[in-house]
Amino acid sequence: MSNYFGNYSLYIALIASIYLIIKSYIDTNINIKNLNKNLVLITSVQTVMIIISFISLVVAFIISDFSNETVFNNSHTLKPLFYKISGSWGNHEGSLLLWLLVLSVFLYIFLLKSSSQNIKYRLLTLLFQQIIISGFLIFILLTSNPFNTVFPIPSEGLGLNPILQDPALAIHPPILYFGYVGTSIIFSTSLAAVVAGNIGDSWAKHIKSWVLVSWIFLTIGILLGSIWAYYELGWGGFWFWDPVENVSLMPWFCLTALLHTVIVLEKRNLFKEWTIILSITTFSLSMSGTFLVRSGILNSIHTFANDPSRGIFILSFLFVLVIMSVTIFFFNQKKLTSTIKNSFIISKETAILVNNWFMMFFLSVVLVGTIYPIFLEVLNGSKISVGPPFYHNLLIPFLIPFLVFMSFGPSLKWIKDKLKKFEYNLLIIFLASILISYFILINTEKKFLLSVPLIILSFYLLLVTINDFFNKKSSLSQKISHFGFSLLITSILLNGLFSNEFNANMKVGEERKFNDKVIKLNSVNVRDIDNYKSLKANFEIKNQNSFIQLSPEVRIYQQPFTITSEADIKTTLFSDNFLVFNILKDDGYYNVRYQYKPVMIWIWISTILISIGGLLSLIKKNEKKY
Amino acid sequence: MKKPKFINLILIFILIFKTSYANELNSQVDQITKNLRCLICQGQSVYDSQSDFAISMKTVVKNKLDEGKEEKEIYEYLKNKYGEWIVYEPELNQNTFLLWLIPLILFIFGGLLITRKVSIK
Repeated sequence: MSNYFGNYSLYIALIASIYLIIKSYIDTNINIKNLNKNLVLITSVQTVMIIISFISLVVAFIISDFSNETVFNNSHTLKPLFYKISGSWGNHEGSLLLWLLVLSVFLYIFLLKSSSQNIKYRLLTLLFQQIIISGFLIFILLTSNPFNTVFPIPSEGLGLNPILQDPALAIHPPILYFGYVGTSIIFSTSLAAVVAGNIGDSWAKHIKSWVLVSWIFLTIGILLGSIWAYYELGWGGFWFWDPVENVSLMPWFCLTALLHTVIVLEKRNLFKEWTIILSITTFSLSMSGTFLVRSGILNSIHTFANDPSRGIFILSFLFVLVIMSVTIFFFNQKKLTSTIKNSFIISKETAILVNNWFMMFFLSVVLVGTIYPIFLEVLNGSKISVGPPFYHNLLIPFLIPFLVFMSFGPSLKWIKDKLKKFEYNLLIIFLASILISYFILINTEKKFLLSVPLIILSFYLLLVTINDFFNKKSSLSQKISHFGFSLLITSILLNGLFSNEFNANMKVGEERKFNDKVIKLNSVNVRDIDNYKSLKANFEIKNQNSFIQLSPEVRIYQQPFTITSEADIKTTLFSDNFLVFNILKDDGYYNVRYQYKPVMIWIWISTILISIGGLLSLIKKNEKKY
Repeated sequence: MKKPKFINLILIFILIFKTSYANELNSQVDQITKNLRCLICQGQSVYDSQSDFAISMKTVVKNKLDEGKEEKEIYEYLKNKYGEWIVYEPELNQNTFLLWLIPLILFIFGGLLITRKVSIK
């Protein structure tokens, strides 16, 4: 039943989409005062149809309707209800349906919220957004229909991957998708504004909420993925420069740049062309992210070559969208010229340009690092790996000038500022950060040339952003976000420098020394639980003044046969104690990996702070309207 | 007003790091295996993996070090055997010089663009 509902509502949505594209195109060419009521009505019908389709899929997952191929492949009757529901978007077909759902809901919200805007601009946004929606509808119906049926109906599903049964991972994709898809509105509105010729301060004000919404969701989405990788994958790291991670980081750099540029457009009516380019790029990156992850091209060229229909569809669709936007941009460029040509060298405008400069550099490193191996393999068949050392080598040195700029850029004035008189305040802060860094680095024997200026500067920036809370030049939201960012950089640096780990094979009852600590494996208890066998270990870690017990677990699932390691992590404000163990060949030895990770929790807290700043800015912006 | 706050801060931070951590005892094996891809795993390094492949690789690296081989020689040996893919840090050669250069060229280009958009009048 739900298969039919889900399937046919998608066809109705496609018909609605085609009608809306034609109708909105006709309407933009005649002068009308008000938006045709039919347009809003049909859009809401379309949204409802897509919602019905999505609910049908979720219902099919809840009742374990194995006549549905997607449910059969990805679910199982033994799954807890929560993971049955999240399973509906944890696969290729379902996740595309979710994309589509968010696309149409966002468009509907846009139509409701933009009534004060110019009519031509609204029509064009509708048009561009419907082109994207129809593309996704055709893609889903042709290559990735979530409502394909299986006959005869199987009695049990296949999917029960235990690694994916995790709360953070269950809500991670929807949150990330809100961020990705939010950029589609930015894309459509900026193209619409180019054609309608209303790029300027009022448009910037209008679009800023969408930039903020996408940016907040993207930030939180990346954070959730990172937290999941930290405690579930069992390696104790939080960022691996894995292509799948990089793909979410790229639009983030672009959106962060856009977030700053939009402010210049709003306040000074400058950087019009650049704002448009960033909007187009951000969405293209979100789309190519979907392409890269969903086509299987990241794992290997060969999986892609075996079933290229999906990948080729997204790639050509992306190509069409990019060509379309470049053409529109090219033919309407004259409308974009600003009256003011250049900005003064010492001004907030220039500072934001510098921010964008670094964001684009970081973006290019991640982009090139991610796709270069794919191109190289296609071109001459050689396979290379681009791993963490590449990213660290290129990114870390550039953090030094970036931190310097960030420490004074935000406090500059618009239009024209003077080089400040010598500030004792800042000198004290600088000396303080040298002092702090001295005390920190004296305890380590690692003497990297780079780490000294990096630690000093990150503390300097941290103290400067704290100091900024006391003078009222900028908005609270900016202060919180910038403080959060400097806290993030500082925590990452300290975490990287002072993490240490112990890796050995141990038997029950054995004791090992590690630095000033003693690690003892007390016991391993075997129990049968629900659908897996559990091996729970008990470790104690002692030194002169502390005693911790850690109980990591190994789970052995039979269907499908999987072994997962559940790390045990003791978190305090100062450090994390992370312990994970694995079964070795059956000689009674276990592989034990203990990690000491200072200031780990601050990496998460600071990222939340960054998003809170964005949220605050969004709320304040809406308050002014009402 | 501000000074006492900073002093507090410094004290807090010193306290955090008072429990000093002795230098990391990262053996050379760990260092090398962290830079090697586990060829049969999904995006894991040899160091992080417990697969049979990774375990035998760790032994290979250890034996080579015992033989007195240098880090570079071990990488060369493994590259010849398994291909360049096994090393996470791509070396600079005719296949990869663009990988390293493109971001740097873009950075310089961006800088030039900004100087043209900015005036010192």
